[in-house]
Amino acid sequence: MPKTLRVVQSAFRMAMLHWMADPQWVIPNIIAPFVFTIVALTLFKGSSGPFGLYAVLGGGMMGMWGNTIYSSGFAIELEKWQGTLETVMAAPSKLIDIITGRSISNALFGLTNMIAVLIVGTVVFRITLDIVDPILFTVSLILTLLSVSALGLIFASAFVLSRSAQTLTNGLETPLYIISGSMFPIALLPFWTYPAAYVLGPTWGIDAIRLATSQDYASQTFWQGMGTNTALFMDLTVMILITLAYAVIAAALFKMVERRARIKGTLIQA
Amino acid sequence: MNSLRVFVSSAVFSFRAQFDWLNPSMWLTMKFVLSFSQMAFFVFVGVFSGGGPALVSFIAIGNALQALSWNTVFSVIQITGHDKWDGTLPLVLATPASRLPLFVGRAMIHMFDGLVSVAISLFFAAFVFGVNLTHADALALAVTVLLTAFTMAGFGLLIGGFSFHFRNPIVFANIFTFVLLIFCGVNFPVQALPQLAQPVSYAFPLTYGINAARQAINGASLLTISPTLALELATGIVSIAIGYLLFESFERTARKTGKMEAQ
Repeated sequence: MPKTLRVVQSAFRMAMLHWMADPQWVIPNIIAPFVFTIVALTLFKGSSGPFGLYAVLGGGMMGMWGNTIYSSGFAIELEKWQGTLETVMAAPSKLIDIITGRSISNALFGLTNMIAVLIVGTVVFRITLDIVDPILFTVSLILTLLSVSALGLIFASAFVLSRSAQTLTNGLETPLYIISGSMFPIALLPFWTYPAAYVLGPTWGIDAIRLATSQDYASQTFWQGMGTNTALFMDLTVMILITLAYAVIAAALFKMVERRARIKGTLIQA
Repeated sequence: MNSLRVFVSSAVFSFRAQFDWLNPSMWLTMKFVLSFSQMAFFVFVGVFSGGGPALVSFIAIGNALQALSWNTVFSVIQITGHDKWDGTLPLVLATPASRLPLFVGRAMIHMFDGLVSVAISLFFAAFVFGVNLTHADALALAVTVLLTAFTMAGFGLLIGGFSFHFRNPIVFANIFTFVLLIFCGVNFPVQALPQLAQPVSYAFPLTYGINAARQAINGASLLTISPTLALELATGIVSIAIGYLLFESFERTARKTGKMEAQ
């Protein structure tokens, strides 16, 4: 197995073991999306239209987002508290490979959060989600998951440098839910927020997931006037390009962060 | 006099201690970003559901008051967690200081921090989301906010006292800060909850505080809202009393078993 893959796999396994050793940590990751979904479903009660679709899929998406952002920040913070970050940095493996393994495991947990929100939405709130195209739904979900993971890598590089990663995480979570239009169309937002929405891969991911779930959504997609499959293909293409850009940016940032940390020697105080 | 000294020093140290993990610039960012983004999120959800200015105002005021909970619930519960993580808990329990001022003092400073959060949030509510504050009874609103901050700090102590018995209090800090959004009439009236869940709402001081604040903003006088405030005060005092008893029971168990951080 190539060295990079071996490191990614080991980091993934370690992250899983950490989680299994203390599974209650999953609660802070998922509580906000769960509560936000319940509030949205209560507010949408009595409204006609695809509101359930927005609330449940949006809540699920937020579960994925929240877990990735929270875990990326907290994983580094925890290393700082436990004094193991120096050891990780001193290892011959590249930091980005280690964080990639963790990021994938975080996103995978995020996926379980999404499934949990979907189950609560359908069982408790009786929201019907007749997924029109299960294959495209799954493909969209997996690509969105990868996009969220890649974005998690960029956050993680910032968290290595910041002393207040956990606080930054708390501060970033809700603005990202808003800007990506997780639970409402971004058309409701002021126009100056659109550029920020368009550079977020999950903005396109949630559009693709909604398209794959419901035919009613075709009139509200970013690609109105196109056929459902073409619109979905466009969403996925844009998201893949953005995800690749995230990966390139993250690689450059990690190189810079590693160099800076080694030169300044202020890793733990940072 | 000695109790007052313990109360004040406990309050000051508790506030300063949070800057171990939170730098001042980030504290300011949290004050502005967190309160604004949470309010904005629910306002947009409300607008998307077809709600007009009345719903926007309802949601904005609810979230402005709920902003308190980050200081009075989350931060107060965090004190418990940090005592355990930082290894200061045995030292706290070894001091001869009277426990009541020590326990209550550490929460009360966060009440003032919470007042700043509400002021910032009300500013956003008025100037960004167009909530009309011109008819507000200033005295009634000020008393309501102050009392809500006090009683919610009491609620934070209750959960903090409960969390002492567990290894990771941060889990409870997250749960109890967020569930307030469901039960306390922050974004929708308590009556929108299933009937079985509605009594739970009235165990939280915030439910009364938000209700009173909405009335005060609509022009109700202090006298008119005083029955609601009396109920709020009662729930707050009961919370502090139960929290203190839980803290004492933890201390007793910890001394018997020698398990302070491990529980």
